[in-house]
Amino acid sequence: MLIYTLKRLLTMIPTLVIISMLVFVIIQLPPGDYLETYIAELQSQGESVDEDKIAFLRAEYGLDRPMYEQYWVWASGLLVGDYGYSFEYNLPVSEVIGNRMFLTIIISVLTIIFTWAVAFPIGIYSATHQYSWGDYGLSFIGFIGLATPNFLLALVMLYLANVYFGTSLGGLMDPQYIDKPWSWAKFKSVLEHLWIPIIVIGTSGTAAMIRRIRANLLDELQKQYVTTARAKGMEEGKLVRKYPLRMAMNFFISDIGSLLPSVISGAELTAIVLSLPTTGPMMLAALQSQDMFLAGSFLMFLATLTVIGVLISDLLLVLIDPRIRLQAAVNS
Amino acid sequence: MKSINTLLSIAALSIAGLCLLVSNPALSYVQSPYLDERVNAGELESVDKRLPATPLTMGADMNNTHPGQHGGKLRMLMGKDKDIRRMVVFGYSRLVGYNDNLELVSDIVESYENVDNKVFTFNLRPGHKWSDGAPFTSEDFKFYWEDIANNEDLMPFGAPKSLQIDGEVPTVEFPDALTVIYRWTNPNPYFLAELAAPSPLFIYQPKHYLTQFHANYTDRAALDTAAQRRGSQNWAGGFLKKARQYKLTNPDLPSLQPWVITTKQPAELYVFKRNPYFHRVDANGLQLPYIDEVLMNIASSSLIPAKTGSGETDLQGHYLRLDNFTFLKAGESRNDYKVKLWSTVNGAHKALFPNLNSNDAVWRQLVRDVRFRRALSMGVDRAEINQVIYHGLANESSNTVLPACDLHEEDLQHAYATYDLSAANALLDEIGLTDRNNRGIRIRADGKPLEIIIHSAGESTEETDILELVHDSWLKLGIKIYTKPSQREVFRERVFSGGAMMSIWSGLENAMPTADMSPHELAPTSQNQYQWPKWGQHFETKGVSGEAPQLAGAQELFELNEAWKKSTDHAEKRGIWSAMLKTYCEEVYSIGIVNTVPQPIVVNTKLRNVPEKGVYSWSPTAYFGVYHPDVFWFEQ
Repeated sequence: MLIYTLKRLLTMIPTLVIISMLVFVIIQLPPGDYLETYIAELQSQGESVDEDKIAFLRAEYGLDRPMYEQYWVWASGLLVGDYGYSFEYNLPVSEVIGNRMFLTIIISVLTIIFTWAVAFPIGIYSATHQYSWGDYGLSFIGFIGLATPNFLLALVMLYLANVYFGTSLGGLMDPQYIDKPWSWAKFKSVLEHLWIPIIVIGTSGTAAMIRRIRANLLDELQKQYVTTARAKGMEEGKLVRKYPLRMAMNFFISDIGSLLPSVISGAELTAIVLSLPTTGPMMLAALQSQDMFLAGSFLMFLATLTVIGVLISDLLLVLIDPRIRLQAAVNS
Repeated sequence: MKSINTLLSIAALSIAGLCLLVSNPALSYVQSPYLDERVNAGELESVDKRLPATPLTMGADMNNTHPGQHGGKLRMLMGKDKDIRRMVVFGYSRLVGYNDNLELVSDIVESYENVDNKVFTFNLRPGHKWSDGAPFTSEDFKFYWEDIANNEDLMPFGAPKSLQIDGEVPTVEFPDALTVIYRWTNPNPYFLAELAAPSPLFIYQPKHYLTQFHANYTDRAALDTAAQRRGSQNWAGGFLKKARQYKLTNPDLPSLQPWVITTKQPAELYVFKRNPYFHRVDANGLQLPYIDEVLMNIASSSLIPAKTGSGETDLQGHYLRLDNFTFLKAGESRNDYKVKLWSTVNGAHKALFPNLNSNDAVWRQLVRDVRFRRALSMGVDRAEINQVIYHGLANESSNTVLPACDLHEEDLQHAYATYDLSAANALLDEIGLTDRNNRGIRIRADGKPLEIIIHSAGESTEETDILELVHDSWLKLGIKIYTKPSQREVFRERVFSGGAMMSIWSGLENAMPTADMSPHELAPTSQNQYQWPKWGQHFETKGVSGEAPQLAGAQELFELNEAWKKSTDHAEKRGIWSAMLKTYCEEVYSIGIVNTVPQPIVVNTKLRNVPEKGVYSWSPTAYFGVYHPDVFWFEQ
């Protein structure tokens, strides 16, 4: 087990190196660099640009050096925790991201809890009551959630919340509370705004989760040990919770791998529509303007979390499910 | 009953005011109650000591403004953190600036003298102070000139271009604390315009604050290490980050603007507080600005029209477009705001630029024939485009100055800009494009069908909609067009390299010029002129790259522009402008479609002094700048 973990940890290194190269090259693939984008933007708004100043900035930002050199500066910085410099914000990347991380994590965690709270009971109900009206009805609602584009749902809910509850459009709190110390009023204002992104982002995840719980549980419910337990007179609710549901949990644990990065990135599209102060919109803007260190470091951060998440879920699976452990023993 | 109450309260107020004047004869200026606390606590001096000895009195030369009262917070919406720099544009405190009649007047300086555009003398206001209370004197100009503009680390390529005339930099003198003189041997017609620009040339910097970051005054090695920690190469990068008066990245940097930034980037809400030392007062002696704070909320740009419609802003023009108008209008009654329609100032809201530097030799020869360009222009049904896309609210025109401008000539607006298919077809036949293929498309000299790919920066569907309509009418001339939207940088690259045959972009940036403003936009002087990018590049690089203008008309424009630079006589300049406009329009170097497209401006119903009609554009009005938001006030 220890050797297995070590092996996995070691393979993470080349994986991350390759990802970092890919990230860096792909961000730079579009023609031009950050300054080209910057000039184009200024000129489209009528501002003029001094070519000398651009040449100065290009040297200042190190954009005049060859790509491998830029990569080396960035990658070696990453190793010591220096994420580079954001051209767009004129700040070190860590400061730009750090500012938004807290609210991003809150939204993501609450969304995940919301998804679970809705999906688990529905999934279990529709598996145990397969092909009943309840199963069809709840699945239908779930699919509507999946099928409605998030951004559309977000806009509709924004509008309704504004017209009926007077909630200010977008953002996570009324403007007068931004940057003010926490108070009861501010907390209430955050709650007023928070439910929209949670429901919008949550609904799409819920349907998929319901279906997976239902399918996995159905597989287990038909197994003989369930029939045996039932024949022995075990109470139905306890039976489902104690045996088939636990066996159906494997998919849930392997989901942790993808859960971890999504906690940090938030749902980009919805966040843009709702104008949330999370990392998603910032990352998109950075990619558009080729603010390469900001975009690159953020993507690397996500990649690292994914790799770690997959490792955690693999290890957990080994711990929880004896069948997976057996397989490993045979191989070694 | 109500009116009696109002009368009584007015009477009471005026008595109180009289008492104040009588009991305090020395106190002639009034500050905002917002600052009372700080003054009483002894943190700030009294308003008389904060204002210069001779403050600038606003309102005398402005249209339709009325004295107001202090107080209130102005909410605005912006799409990006970077947009906070707009506050310097809106604040519009300049050494010399335009008033709302677009006349150049002194602002920060008490007076200035201009001798033949060669010698400029600025007289500062005695007692003028930076926003931190330090005196603003000629030392700050000297610091900029000697330690920034002529510092090899900070300006490795020499002083800014607008301070150089044919490579010559001025001699700058500082006879005393309140006088600064710039002297050139040849006229520099751009100098004052640069100082008054929306993004002005800052020829002064707060010396008392910035010396701590400057290697001439502080230990270089220590500055270098500090700057490298913050991601710069050396101290120069670190210094420039601290000294940005336009980009506002440093809230500690002293300022001369009406509102001073107090929030550090990045943030969601930027707070600008009133500058307690601001140099302007109103007719009643109230220190400006009237409004105490400006709150700039950053929201995603696509959500801004919706947020505006729900009343979340007090003054908004940015990120609103004409197609939001009906939606905004519908929210008026619910949310206490008014939608005003200002105008934009581009010579053409959208114009087609035939690329005279195209790499396609046959096309290049064709497009350099003025008859061809005229035919194309006459083949555009501007009335139809105006009705379909702009609700008929725009002005059908060639790419020239606006009707509201002094230099406007009616016949140039319509020169080859009226829809006339038969004349256009006749011109095309005359050129020799008589053969057509089986689909009715004319055949070029090399046997290919006359098909034009028009490049668009593809940011809005507006351009593709226009091109769809142009497509239909040009088809009647036997010309087929295809639209190619691409990313902005790719688009520019294609035009610059000659890969694009034709492109669509906005027309003249400043179509409300006076004869004293530079006519360089009409002559091949910049790579960003999409009809002759290589000729423009030739000028910009002083002949190192690009090509010299090859058409007689373009050469003529170029020479007229040079003549304007040397001219010091107003009438002569006016003559040059007229001649240039005439050539530019009659040679149809760009095909303007419509101009003066209305710009919705949303204004809180309580906000006063915002003009009913105005021009919302970068240059020359600096968006709200020349209307001076410091005189806008909230009625309580």
